Parts: sequence; C-alpha cells; structure tokens
Amino acid sequence: MESSIHPLAKKTVIYYLMTTSILLIFMMILGVIMLLNQGEMIQISPEWFYKIMTAHGIGMVGVAALGGTSIMWYFLSKYIKLRPSIFLQNFTLSLIGIILIVIAIFGFNFSDAWTFLYPLPAQSAQFYGVTGPLLFLFGVLILGVGYLIMYAYLAARLIKEYGGLGKSLGWDYIFRGKKGYGPPPAVVATTMVVITNSTAVIAGAIVIIGSIINILIPAISMDPMLAKHLTYAFGHVFCNATIYMAVIAVYEVLSHYTKRPWKSNKAFLIAWNASTLFTLMIYTHHLLMDFAVPTWMLIIGQVFSYANGLPVMVVTAYGALMIVYRSGIKWDFASSLLFLAMFGWVAGAIPAIIDATIVVNHVMHNTKWVPGHFHTYMGMGVIAMILGFMYYFNKKEGSMKHNHFDTFSIALYFTFFTGIVGSFLYAGSMSTPRRWAVHMPEWVLSDQIGAISGIFVVLATVLITVRFFTGLKGVGKTT
Amino acid sequence: MYQMIALYLTIFFEFLLALAFAFVYGESKRTSEYGPIQTKGYKIRKYYFFALVATMGIATILTLDDLPYHSAHAKESATTETKVVEVTGLQYYWEMSEDHFTIGDQVEFIVTAGDVTHGFGLYTEDLELVAQTQAMPGYENSVYYTFEEPGTYQILCLEYCSVGHHVMIKEIVVEPKGGVENGE
Repeated sequence: MESSIHPLAKKTVIYYLMTTSILLIFMMILGVIMLLNQGEMIQISPEWFYKIMTAHGIGMVGVAALGGTSIMWYFLSKYIKLRPSIFLQNFTLSLIGIILIVIAIFGFNFSDAWTFLYPLPAQSAQFYGVTGPLLFLFGVLILGVGYLIMYAYLAARLIKEYGGLGKSLGWDYIFRGKKGYGPPPAVVATTMVVITNSTAVIAGAIVIIGSIINILIPAISMDPMLAKHLTYAFGHVFCNATIYMAVIAVYEVLSHYTKRPWKSNKAFLIAWNASTLFTLMIYTHHLLMDFAVPTWMLIIGQVFSYANGLPVMVVTAYGALMIVYRSGIKWDFASSLLFLAMFGWVAGAIPAIIDATIVVNHVMHNTKWVPGHFHTYMGMGVIAMILGFMYYFNKKEGSMKHNHFDTFSIALYFTFFTGIVGSFLYAGSMSTPRRWAVHMPEWVLSDQIGAISGIFVVLATVLITVRFFTGLKGVGKTT
Repeated sequence: MYQMIALYLTIFFEFLLALAFAFVYGESKRTSEYGPIQTKGYKIRKYYFFALVATMGIATILTLDDLPYHSAHAKESATTETKVVEVTGLQYYWEMSEDHFTIGDQVEFIVTAGDVTHGFGLYTEDLELVAQTQAMPGYENSVYYTFEEPGTYQILCLEYCSVGHHVMIKEIVVEPKGGVENGE
C-alpha cells in the first residue's frame, strides 16, 4: 500500500532539512576551530574551547537526529498515513531545545560536554551559577520529549496498521513461518528506532531530571555509576538511532535507482531484530574502564558490540553491494552519496568494534581513536545519507539535476573527510587524549592535518548546501 | 602494542572494504538479471557470515583471557609484593599516596575521585598510554601496572572534568634498581 506525503509534512521536511544543513555548517566550523586550536594554528581560551566542544557535540547529534527523522518520516509516509502535526511538533520542540542549549552555552558559559556526566553539571553550577546547567538540561529534556511524543504516535500507528510492533518487526515471518516478505524496510527500521530510542529517551529523561533536582536541591543526589549507565543508555542509543533512521534512504533510493526490489526477507528481518536487541545492550562498552561494573556486564559490552556489527556488515552493506552490482545504476549525487555512506558506516564500525575489545579499550578509551571511529560513521555515514537524501528530495519533489559541480563536491567531501578521520585514528594510536583544549607538541601535527582537511570539508558542505537551497526553488513550485 | 594492532587491523579491513566497494562500483555499469545475482550473492554471504563470526570468536577467545579488571590477573603475573598507592582525582590535580617507584615495582593504584568523574591514564615517558581506569566519586577502581622502564611517567586525566581538564597532569618518577646513581 502506497500513499503520498501530506503537503504540510512535505513542507516540514523542508524545514528539517534547511535547519539540518545550516546547523551542520556551523557545527563543522566549530569542529575546525577546535582542531586549529589544538594544532596551534589559532589560539582560543580553554573556556571557549570547551564551550565550543559542548556546542559541537550536542549540535552534531541534533543535526543527525533532525536529518534522520526527516528521512524516516518522508519514506514512512509512502506506507502509512501520518499526521503531519506530530512531525511539526517534534521540529518545534527541537528548535526550542536548541535555542535553550545555545543560550546555556554561549550566554551562561555551560561547558560540561554534551554527555553532561553527573555530577559535573552540579559541580559547575557551584562555580558558574545554576542558570547555564539548568537551561542546557531543560533544553535536552524538551528535545527528548518532542521525540518521545513522536515515537509514541508512530508506535500507535504501526500497531494499528500491522497489529503490533512484533508484527511490524516481522515476527510472523521469523517465528511463525509466514511465507513471503515482511513489512517494507522503512516500516521495520522505524519500528526498531521507536523501540530502542523511546527506551533511550526515557533513560535520558531520568538522569536529566535527577541532575536538575540535584542542582536545585544538592541534598538529593544520585549514584554516579547509575547516572553514567543512564547517560550512555541515552547517548549511545540516541546516536545509533540516527543511523537507523537515515539508512531508510539507502533502502528506498538505491532500490528506486537500480529498479530492483529491496524487500524484507527472513535474513533482513532477523538482522533488524538483532540490531534492536544489541543496540539496547551494548552501551556498556562506554563503561569498560569502570572496573566497579560487574565483569559479566562488561564482557557483554565486548561480545555484543562485535555481534552488533554483523547486521550492517552482512545484511545492509552487503545488500547495498548486491543491489548495485551489475544493475546499470545511474550515478548521481543521491545514489553516489548513499552508496558511499554504506562504506562510511562499515568503515566506522571496524575501529569501533576493535575499540570495544576490553584489552584495547584499556589503552585507547578516551583517546582520539574514539572520535576517529564515530566521525567515520557519522560524517561519512549518517551525514552522507542525509546529504544524499537532500538531493534526492529536490530531484523527486522538484527538478534538480546532477552536474559536474556535484561530482566535485562529493569528491572534495569524501577525500578530506578521510583526512579528518585518518588524523584522528592516527592520533588515537599515538595515545592522544580526546577533549583536551591544549595539546602537547608530539600531538600537534595530526591536529594540523585534521584542521586543514576540515576546512575543505566545510567548503564542500557549503557547496552542497548552496546547491540544496537552489534546488528547493523547484520544490516550492510543486508544493 | 594494542594501539598498533588496532591501527594496522583497521587499515587492513578498511582496505578490503574499499576494494569490495570499488569492485562493485566498477561492475555497476554493466547489467545482468537480478535473480541469479541474488542466488549467488546469498551463497557467498553464508561464507562471509561464518568468516566474520569466526574472526570475532577468535578475537574474543584471545582477548578475554587478559582482562585488566581483577586482582587475580595481577597476582598471576606478580613476582614481588604489590605496592598499594591511593589515588584521588580532583579538579584539576591528582593526590597520590606515593609518586616515586623503582623498576620492577608492581603497583596497585586504587583510584577514586573527590568531586566529579575523572580518568586515570598512565603514560610512559614516550607518551604511550599503558593503563587506565575511571576515577569516579564513591567508587574505587584498582588498576595494576608493573614498571619495567625507568623515567618520568605522567598521569593524565582521560575523562572530561571541566575547563581545567587538560592541566590535570601528575608526574611520577621510576628509578633504576639501586637508585638513580647506580643506574647512570
């Protein structure tokens, strides 16, 4: 069953993508400023460095979440009738959250990183005042509430259309021997995201509310270990969910371009069910250096982090290779970026899996190896998917056509993004710590390579964004 | 050691991945029926899946035997009496009950924090990270290390702890057996 997207939802997709692309450029510029400072090419105060670091972290998570949500909603609308007001409310609450976060960081000097590890915000509140931490925490909370409302609505719609979340995850085909193909990949992926990210947002809300209470009434405190579990159950899953939302574009667009079906067979459904379970379990790999956590829990963190690589490596990325192989596909901006994004996702998963090995983590945790792997699958994976979708949207809903300028932008983006992540991974292998405002002389060269690469990535993203905004004029005529 | 293994393994697997994507891209301009491609592709995928599971299984078996967590691991390799050093992380310095050691000393660092969470990272004179654990208020984590080289080691904070995070460095000195003079 196919239905068309509601005109208001189509407009809202444009709001999401415009915000995503503008925020992306600003956040990238902040990233480059940090690298320039670490590389001793400019000088900013540590106070400003850590404010920029906090803004870059939360901002990029927001960019990936907004872009991923627009992809999910756009393609899910083909299969299920959705109420656009819910999509719009999530955008509005996200904007309110972003505004509060920006005021907290740049107006009230909040610089406790996007992970706001308890009891750091309460400690900072003693020195810099309660306004900054409270505005930041309320901002993230409001953003989370927007997502929770959206997921609750999507869950209700999936249950009504398919008879339950188990059925929209294909349990009839896996456990009850039903023949044929399961629900469309967009439906399966949405179900996975609804289950995992609702859980994550609830975990996040608990630790945020606990932190707020602790700031206002210091006598009421939380256990730092419990708070850390909740923080990473939120942060890890929320970041992962952006990939699982954005990958819907890969399924839909590559299938469309190759004129080959990408259906949910049994292996596909098993992979997505495994991802649902593993994504919820493996946040403990963020706590591998917390020796007080029970060892069995940490071993689960290692073993299931390995296992969580299997669905993407064996099913999704392999599926992308298979559907493109000898398909006569027309390569343009969308198909190229979405294909390359699958490379970026797996290329990022490899060093991530290696780092989830406890003995490796013991000498690489919180070094630049960590931003090395997550910049690979976020920058060359999720963001590439979102940029590819931006072009596809303009082409499908408007009249955008690929030109040589686009080929140049893609080459520029991927070449220099490889430079960024290569410099990070190399720095990590040299034990360079992450999140240090000032670097020792031994670490500076890799920062300089990263900074120069970053400047070209920003340039490529500006070019892509200009093309996107130009292409939107065509969409306006048809909306 | 593990850093270099991680780097070379990443380069190796990413090279294989790039080859696979480049091969498929090269073949993408030709056209063939999808049915036979799927049949053959699913067959290859079985071997690919088992190869991945085998690789992960071997890595698990090889690495789970060497966990840094429990004292049993440390005791197995202990040749002398373990020195116990109490470490507390505070914004933005380290308090340590002892900061001078001799080659061959096996040290148990009992690490905690007095305000917010910090990260205890032990670096050699060549700035190689050789051991770490989290320093969390209300918790004590024991990390073991045997000093085999003389020199000035550093404890760096590896968990972001606010604006002085990067100045949270403590030097510790490891002397040759018999003192500095004998070692010169």
